[in-house]
Amino acid sequence: MSTNRVAVVEGNLDAYLDGAVGPDRLLSPDDPLRPGSALTARKAVELFEDQVLSRVLDVVARELKREGEGFYTISSAGHEQNAVLGAQLRTTDPCFLHYRSGAFMASRLRQLDGSTPLFDTLLSFCASTDDPVSGGRHKVWGSKEAWVPPQTSTIASHVPKAVGTAFSLSRARKLGLDTGLPEDAISVATFGDASVNHATALAGINSARYAWRRMNPTPVLFVCEDNQRGISVETPRRWIRDFFSRLEHLRYFEATGDVDSIWDTVSLAIQTCRTTQQPTFLRLRCHRLWGHAGSDVESAYMSQAEIELAESKDPVLANARRLIETGAATPAALRSMLKSARERVRAAAKEAKSRPKHVSVRAIIEPLAPEDPERWREAATAAIDPEKRRQVFGERLPENAKAPTRRTMGARINDALHDEMIRRPNVITFGEDVGRKGGVYGVTQNLQQHFGRSRCFDTLLDETTILGVAQGAGLVGLLPIPEVPYLAYLHNAIDQLRGEACSLQFFSNGQYQNPMVIRIAGLGYQKGFGGHFHNDNSIGALREIPGLAIACPSNGYDAVRMMRGALAMAATSGRVVTFLEPIALYHERDLYEAGDGLWLTDYPVPDGSADIALLPGEVGITHAEHKDLLIVSYANGYRLSLRAARQLEADGIKARVLDMRWLNPLPMDAILEHAEQCGNVLVVDECRATAAGAADSIIASLVEGGYRGVIRSVRSADSYIPLGAAAEVVLLSEEDIVKGAKEVLR
Amino acid sequence: MSRVVIMCPGRGSYTEASLGSLDPDHELVRTAERRRSDFGLEPLLALDQAQRFEPARHLRPAHVSPLIYVKAMIDATAVASEHEVVAVGGNSMGWYIGLAVAGALSFEDGFRLVQKMALLQEELAGGGQILYPLVADDWTPSPEAQTAVDDTLASSGGEAMHSITLGGYTVLAGSAKGLSHLLKTLPQVRIGSVTYPIRLAQHGPYHTRLAEPVAVAAAREFSDLKLQAPHTTLVDGRGRLFSPWSTDLNELRRYTLGTQVTTPYDFTASVRVAMREFAPDQLVLPGPGNTLGGIVGQILVAEGWRGLRSKADFIADQKSAAASGSPPLVNSMTLQAT
Repeated sequence: MSTNRVAVVEGNLDAYLDGAVGPDRLLSPDDPLRPGSALTARKAVELFEDQVLSRVLDVVARELKREGEGFYTISSAGHEQNAVLGAQLRTTDPCFLHYRSGAFMASRLRQLDGSTPLFDTLLSFCASTDDPVSGGRHKVWGSKEAWVPPQTSTIASHVPKAVGTAFSLSRARKLGLDTGLPEDAISVATFGDASVNHATALAGINSARYAWRRMNPTPVLFVCEDNQRGISVETPRRWIRDFFSRLEHLRYFEATGDVDSIWDTVSLAIQTCRTTQQPTFLRLRCHRLWGHAGSDVESAYMSQAEIELAESKDPVLANARRLIETGAATPAALRSMLKSARERVRAAAKEAKSRPKHVSVRAIIEPLAPEDPERWREAATAAIDPEKRRQVFGERLPENAKAPTRRTMGARINDALHDEMIRRPNVITFGEDVGRKGGVYGVTQNLQQHFGRSRCFDTLLDETTILGVAQGAGLVGLLPIPEVPYLAYLHNAIDQLRGEACSLQFFSNGQYQNPMVIRIAGLGYQKGFGGHFHNDNSIGALREIPGLAIACPSNGYDAVRMMRGALAMAATSGRVVTFLEPIALYHERDLYEAGDGLWLTDYPVPDGSADIALLPGEVGITHAEHKDLLIVSYANGYRLSLRAARQLEADGIKARVLDMRWLNPLPMDAILEHAEQCGNVLVVDECRATAAGAADSIIASLVEGGYRGVIRSVRSADSYIPLGAAAEVVLLSEEDIVKGAKEVLR
Repeated sequence: MSRVVIMCPGRGSYTEASLGSLDPDHELVRTAERRRSDFGLEPLLALDQAQRFEPARHLRPAHVSPLIYVKAMIDATAVASEHEVVAVGGNSMGWYIGLAVAGALSFEDGFRLVQKMALLQEELAGGGQILYPLVADDWTPSPEAQTAVDDTLASSGGEAMHSITLGGYTVLAGSAKGLSHLLKTLPQVRIGSVTYPIRLAQHGPYHTRLAEPVAVAAAREFSDLKLQAPHTTLVDGRGRLFSPWSTDLNELRRYTLGTQVTTPYDFTASVRVAMREFAPDQLVLPGPGNTLGGIVGQILVAEGWRGLRSKADFIADQKSAAASGSPPLVNSMTLQAT
């Protein structure tokens, strides 16, 4: 079916060109296609070349698929008018593209010396390691030189980062940082009429309007390529216009009709966005040819008449007609162009399919989580200029705190954020309530006062937006520390980490990075807010994200050193790091007895010493001399384990306690080493039992790593956290640990 | 008919071995001689049929450039009659030849451009070019050589600069002072029987800002030059395309008479783009000489074209084609003739 329809559409174009007769008088190359239009005859023909190239690539993609040599058939056929955007946007306007962007890219890459859009696209169809965008990992539209960060775009989840990029462009300028982009650059996101209904896309559009309403320059151009169908489901007529043309704080344009009309409307939309810096929405009328992808049989949900109607609106055919009828080109010229494109693409396909493919896991995952501990340590432990510190802290340097001299983890994280914002002028921090209020738990107090509203600011209440802003900020050279107020709130936005932020280095073969350290307050046991939403104890969704590092400090001294390590990883290697802060320990002061003050800590002064930072793999050990049992834990569980160890010691059991500190990657080398030394292991995981924490992985890795001693785990119940005292019923307790330890030794 | 890309040679291609390249009875030779006489310069055939090669005489820009132009045009015309030419480019002066091969200039206008530009260079551009390898004898990249080049340019006080990216070689240019610095500072490297850096005889500092006077004069001299849309796509020295259907003639003029004269020429990019975007059966190198043969080989190996990953691969592939009688991937017409 789909093959036949390809032939039909190709045949329609050939038949038209074979029979077409143009006017007696041809336009000169510099003549407008119609009076008043800015599109010249020559430029229109150039666009058509790009559109034809894109079309032929789509045809050959299906041929390659049939041969078993190509692996991607979601085509740009019917969307070729997006070449008009590719031609008019600058290569310094960051673009986040829809997957039907073949013609857009052909036109955009024309602006670059030495670009090879034809061959690059074939390499990506064939998933060759020579593909210059993703290195053969995925078919994505992208280009480092042309500022097209690649992503898959299937659910429009790239819209928030496009907004974040627009927002961050002016923010970086305000901070005097060079983004490498001109002052009037705009950010562009293209997507389909079906995917714009995704919550993520709507969140992005909403946040752009919100930012503009709050007087922030937000030059983002949203382009809805409206083919009026999402796979098999028809979009209601005028749905896009009815929705988006009526929104405040969003300029709206519609590009329809002949290519010259589309050209002029696109030009106006771009200029409006560029000059007003206002969020702008452009509906570009497209048509879908040949189904959603090669495997999609349109006849299952469309009548023959509907299919033929769509084919009759083929934009390549329409543009051929327009060029010939206006005298911009002759039928013979277009026939010759088409023939040339078909020959070129098929010849190049022979070469592309012979190019190497990925065969090793190591090579495939190489860009996911770059490791560079030497440089990380150097960056994390570098001394911070004392004079700059004095300017910010005045006489209240954290290390000189008095009454008490030792402080809580919440206070220490606040100190560390101050120091890192002194050290790194490109650090910005933001989220809900982080600015004026200073955070729900006071962790960001005084940052706005000390560093200004440009570097520490409140956002709207939407975690998707927060993570979108972080991605955009990272892309243009800022080092964002977004805050997600509660771990449970992350879940509505987690695809921004999983599908977008963490996949960028993978899809771009390490060419693009969006470094960030995401602070998330989480885990159970807090005595303030009760219930699930403020005590979520499941990190499974974070641990499964490829390339994501997870830091989880248990005390203030470690938290400061880990924050330095996390930021160094982000700054040096573009890593995305989550910094999971146990809420219940923010203000904890005591360990064994009320008033003992043993959970308060000093401040590791950033004086260049080697031990003032911690990196993944570096664990904390208490009672290193004990050998009866190794207790492996983290966060609240670590503190409970220390208390349990004291009880056990009274019973004559000498337990060594290990604080993992990092929950991804797990510090298995250290755990295995201590496990071997002790011969008995209890894993204490405060997360709920079923795959929500790290216990399963630790146990499996110990066993597979050759540990042959006894091993058990204690975990919280497999439940949401209930309100009030009931929380203690489901959460892991000190007594559970003591009991578990004794079972190990039984 | 095989699909071929033609890459036209630059100024270094006419050598002693090239004497006698021109067929006196060829129409293009006769036409060229008529146009040559317009300039009052000695006939090309007198040069081509000389008993012995005199470098000072033969390599004078105003002599060697039209000799190369005519020979290359004869070869390219022969190729076009037998094959489908899908794209055309060239190295440096080869760009002008390419314009004529692709039909953007008539043969006679191409001749005038080549001849006059050579004279302008003699008149206006002091300094010159040197050639230096960035690969070892086996064509593997030499990071040390690249570093030496970068350092030498950086220490030249702005008197030396990059001129042409040429496969495994770089062409550097400079004022007299800059050339002296390059020749004195670059470490000597031996490849085959040649020791580098070598000064390119009677070459001006083309593709650099030192050639700006030439560009200024060219704009004046060629205000009437009749450029037209090429019948075959041109690949320029930036790796940009000028197609038969959408060529911007103003841009083609600006590029030809200005941009490429005063900014570096990337022959590597032009070959790479021609191969990737046109995937020809053959890349044909018209004569005279075969100066681009190895260079094109180096570019193809760097690109991994048809799985070629080394100099040895390339040589074996060429030999295998020759042995089987099939057309080689890189077809040097000079080698073919011999």
